Amino acid sequence: MSTSTIIRFENVTKQYDNDAAVLDNVSFEMERGKFYTLLGPSGCGKTTILRLISGLVEASHGKIYINDKLVNDVPANKRQVNTVFQDYALFPHLNVFENVAFGLRVKKLKNADIQKKVQEALRFVNLEAYENREISEMSGGQRQRVAIARAIVNEPEVLLLDEPLSALDLKLRTEMQYELRELQRRLGITFVFVTHDQEEALAMSDEIFVINKGKIQQRGVPTDIYDEPINRFVADFIGESNIIQGKMLRDFVVQFDGKEFECVDQGFNPNESVEVVIRPEDLEITTKEKGHLKVKVDSQLFRGVHYEICGYDENGNEWIVHSTKKAVVGEEIGLYFEPEAIHVMRLGETEEEFDARLEAYDDQGVENGN
Amino acid sequence: MKKKFKLSNLYLVVIFIILYVPIFYLMFYSFNSGGKMYDFEGFTLDWYKELFQDSRLLIIVLNTIIIALLSAGISTVLGISGAIAIWYVRKVYAKNFLLSLNNVLIVSPDVIIGASFLILFTFVGIKLGFTSVLLSHIAFNVPIVVLMVLPKLQEMGASLIDAARDLGASRWDVLSKVVLPYITPGIFAGFFMALTYSLDDFAVTFFVTGNGFTTLSVEIYSLARRGISLNINALSTLLFVFTLLLVVGYYFITKRNARPIGLGARK
Repeated sequence: MSTSTIIRFENVTKQYDNDAAVLDNVSFEMERGKFYTLLGPSGCGKTTILRLISGLVEASHGKIYINDKLVNDVPANKRQVNTVFQDYALFPHLNVFENVAFGLRVKKLKNADIQKKVQEALRFVNLEAYENREISEMSGGQRQRVAIARAIVNEPEVLLLDEPLSALDLKLRTEMQYELRELQRRLGITFVFVTHDQEEALAMSDEIFVINKGKIQQRGVPTDIYDEPINRFVADFIGESNIIQGKMLRDFVVQFDGKEFECVDQGFNPNESVEVVIRPEDLEITTKEKGHLKVKVDSQLFRGVHYEICGYDENGNEWIVHSTKKAVVGEEIGLYFEPEAIHVMRLGETEEEFDARLEAYDDQGVENGN
Repeated sequence: MKKKFKLSNLYLVVIFIILYVPIFYLMFYSFNSGGKMYDFEGFTLDWYKELFQDSRLLIIVLNTIIIALLSAGISTVLGISGAIAIWYVRKVYAKNFLLSLNNVLIVSPDVIIGASFLILFTFVGIKLGFTSVLLSHIAFNVPIVVLMVLPKLQEMGASLIDAARDLGASRWDVLSKVVLPYITPGIFAGFFMALTYSLDDFAVTFFVTGNGFTTLSVEIYSLARRGISLNINALSTLLFVFTLLLVVGYYFITKRNARPIGLGARK
């Protein structure tokens, strides 16, 4: 492990009584000063990872290291991490100042120091003038900031954020995404952000861990996760996608929908069964003659930035297209796509095998569309 | 709409009259100079004067207040601990079982409680008097406090405690800086309820009190048995007014509790 590692999980499992494991033999490392996102559907175990880091739950098996120190037996109040909770968990009997000062007061700091640090933290989240407000007088967005100030005032090395934006309306949420990212850069500490919102994850993170059923499905920078999803779950969960069964005839040639297509994937066995992903925005509407696929338009939704067009080809496969151009429902259209738009997924491939295969391409110097 | 509610309103008024007229009747004649509960002759405060000159009665009043304050105070402490203990129980059926045991004590007749305490005290050898009355009052007050405090605890989200732990609070900090301040309104409500229950308790006290120690309600009962004296009316009036004040106090506390959950800004 490198010196920049701050959090390390070694084969961590969390199980309640005899129920199925919430977190199943998970290992990972997180580096200092980066913005990590744990992304997954509800109940996938992402919040459990957060609570294991903060010490609010204990691991059933495995080892958790913070700063290279084994912390399995260190209680939550002795760990150098702080959390921003989903419901903010602000103390209703204390005002804004005292909420932020809580962590400093239990550490028995001098009053003058507390005064200074709290003011600094409130300035950091743009709430200077709100010191004496009651929590009940604050709006949702302001409470969010108080919760952040209350956490960062303790100068943690890691800030954990448990779906902090889910209670805000869309506009405020987008605003807070920018602010959080900016905050992380200014503080220079590690952020671990939990969300089920893939757009949030893609927009904010240095690195995303996609989690499902207690296992990390894939980890990587946002563009990799989006462009090279490892399996059906990831492809489906991150953004919209058309997923179709296919067969890898040989390197660079894949067959699906009864036709052969040129692609940029390799390293498969000849005639291996695969799943093919094409993103809706990579499909281009054209005439029937020019298109690779012929699709009958079934329905169309206006989404603001684009139309979402849904249609079926002659084999009954569903295709979703995002296009700024309108289509006519009931009409047959052609769909065109570049070889780079095709992403081929091996069935049941693990993350290690997937990474190894991708690296193998690069070693051969094959030009990869990304 | 108005017509529809008329009958029910009338019913309500009748019921309240039936309930309150005897009390007001009694209060009214406490100011009667005639000395009887009929033929109002003239207004006088003599009965009240007599009351305040009766040092024996004043001592009884003092006893009653001491018992009420002590038992309410002690049972509040015990009740808070009990409520927190029940709140910590994870298993739902165990929690419900404990809560039911608590509630049974509230609804079970005072006579049963009084009689069983009498048996217990004589069996253990506790002399009937101040101690026995205090102990039994504490015993029937604890469940009331538990019942008043528990909802506040349940209303408090578990994440508040997680947050406090996360910010470095020890278990004691969590209790003293988060849990207790949060449930303070419930604690006050419990204390006041316990106080009123203790003040006006007759049955249990009647059973467990001994020679030379008596509380107001027991004394009023024995005075009333001896014969009509408007002293009793005066005393009952004062007691009624006092209880009324407690109820008003309780009302204001619960009103403060009723603010939006989790947002209730209190100082």
